[in-house]
Amino acid sequence: MEFQTGFHWYIAVYLFLAGVGAGSIVVASLADIYDRQKYISFIKAASVIGMPLVTIGILFLYIDLGQGMYKPWLLLLLFVNPTSAIMWGTLILTIFTVLSLLYGVYNLGILDWFIKKMGFVKIFRPIAASRFMNWSLIITGILTAGYTAVLLGVLKAIPFWHQTSLPILFIISASSTGISGAMVVKELFFKEEAHLEKIETTHFYLIMLEILLLIGMLLIALQGVPEMKFSALTLLTGEFAVEFWVFLVLLGLVVPAFVFAFVEAGKMHVSGGKLVFFELLVLVGGYFLRYLILHAGVYTQKFTDYIMIHY
Amino acid sequence: MNATKTKKFAMAYIVDRCVDCKACMVACKAEWQIPDNDFRTHIDTGIAPAATDRLSMHFLPHQCNHCDDAPCVTVCPTKASHKREDGVVDIDNRKCVGCRYCIPSCPYNARFFNNELGVADKCTFCLPRIYDGLMPACVTTCPGKARVFGDINDPESEISKALKDAADNRYRVWTLRKDLGTEPNIYYIQK
Repeated sequence: MEFQTGFHWYIAVYLFLAGVGAGSIVVASLADIYDRQKYISFIKAASVIGMPLVTIGILFLYIDLGQGMYKPWLLLLLFVNPTSAIMWGTLILTIFTVLSLLYGVYNLGILDWFIKKMGFVKIFRPIAASRFMNWSLIITGILTAGYTAVLLGVLKAIPFWHQTSLPILFIISASSTGISGAMVVKELFFKEEAHLEKIETTHFYLIMLEILLLIGMLLIALQGVPEMKFSALTLLTGEFAVEFWVFLVLLGLVVPAFVFAFVEAGKMHVSGGKLVFFELLVLVGGYFLRYLILHAGVYTQKFTDYIMIHY
Repeated sequence: MNATKTKKFAMAYIVDRCVDCKACMVACKAEWQIPDNDFRTHIDTGIAPAATDRLSMHFLPHQCNHCDDAPCVTVCPTKASHKREDGVVDIDNRKCVGCRYCIPSCPYNARFFNNELGVADKCTFCLPRIYDGLMPACVTTCPGKARVFGDINDPESEISKALKDAADNRYRVWTLRKDLGTEPNIYYIQK
């Protein structure tokens, strides 16, 4: 079996950062609709990382480019082929980045500062504060997170990626890591007293869902076409087994799941530095999920007809 | 009459004739000045599993299949990868941004990233050469005449004759992974 070599860790970083950024904004927008006053510290924290992380992610895509990096005018051509998932992604990312920038500067009070300096900017304020903005961000945020998996999923050449569970897994992981990212920023910079139990409960269930989906995906892959089975085995017992079991399963999923389960049951209280630590573990897991799925991808075999007859 | 009909270039490998000398790989590299570690064409070698009693080894050349429904053309955001009227899947280097998306999209793993130019790279059926009345470099070089090239819409072309001959003699003819629906244009012929 031949491993794919086109996409490497730059792309994994992009998939991860776009997921964290989009996920944090989606959860913040939902919290905004639910009760803005109650969740304001979380919304502010998500605003700090939302658009910037997506942008840093795009920067990784940019430095991964070949001649497009030093001939940036060619990037305009990214919109010309409607059948390309990269065209869909460029469109989604463009809309999401603009909207989340406006939403972020509004939440952090930067927009009000600008309004004082330049009066005409005030036309943006009602848009940024509207329900329409919240829903637009939820939709484009989910599309951003889901698209990173559709990008891989449309490729029939790599059977391990070519499955519907991938976008669902990435959207769940993006929401989970998005909450983690925002929680870390909240603990570090917005220390005001806040009651975020509902978000913590949601986070726990998202991690549980992610574990179940990952188990299901691997069980199905193990019974799949030979290439899928090979990919699953490289994760479970093969050359990526250490990263898979230590960084993704143990540190990224199982430890946070146990800790948050105890918190849910009221047997444990985690805050401050400890909370930051466990949220960082979730983020490490989120990165390794993308990294491992990218690197476990193997090409579909091309000589099957020949081999079937002769061996 | 044939002049009005569009050309459709295709290639066939008569696999019994390939001896894995790799002259095609070298000729292609020399023709196109491909970076050190990359090749536009390869020869896959493999030994039959030890469990079988009839030990055998295969040599199967491969390169871009110039698919009629090419995944690389579908996924290329800039339309740098495109299917030409004459059947050749070509890359317009002026348009390629080097996003690498086409590389994992190809079920035949026929593409690689040309780090010197910053673009995706692959076989072009020696595009300028074939309009100068020459054969692709790999075909010209192949000492065993394992490679046959030509316009499949022209019944007098070498490839049409080779495929007709294979059909008449009931040789085995196949393309790679027909089941994927890519409609490749490289034929494998085995006696």
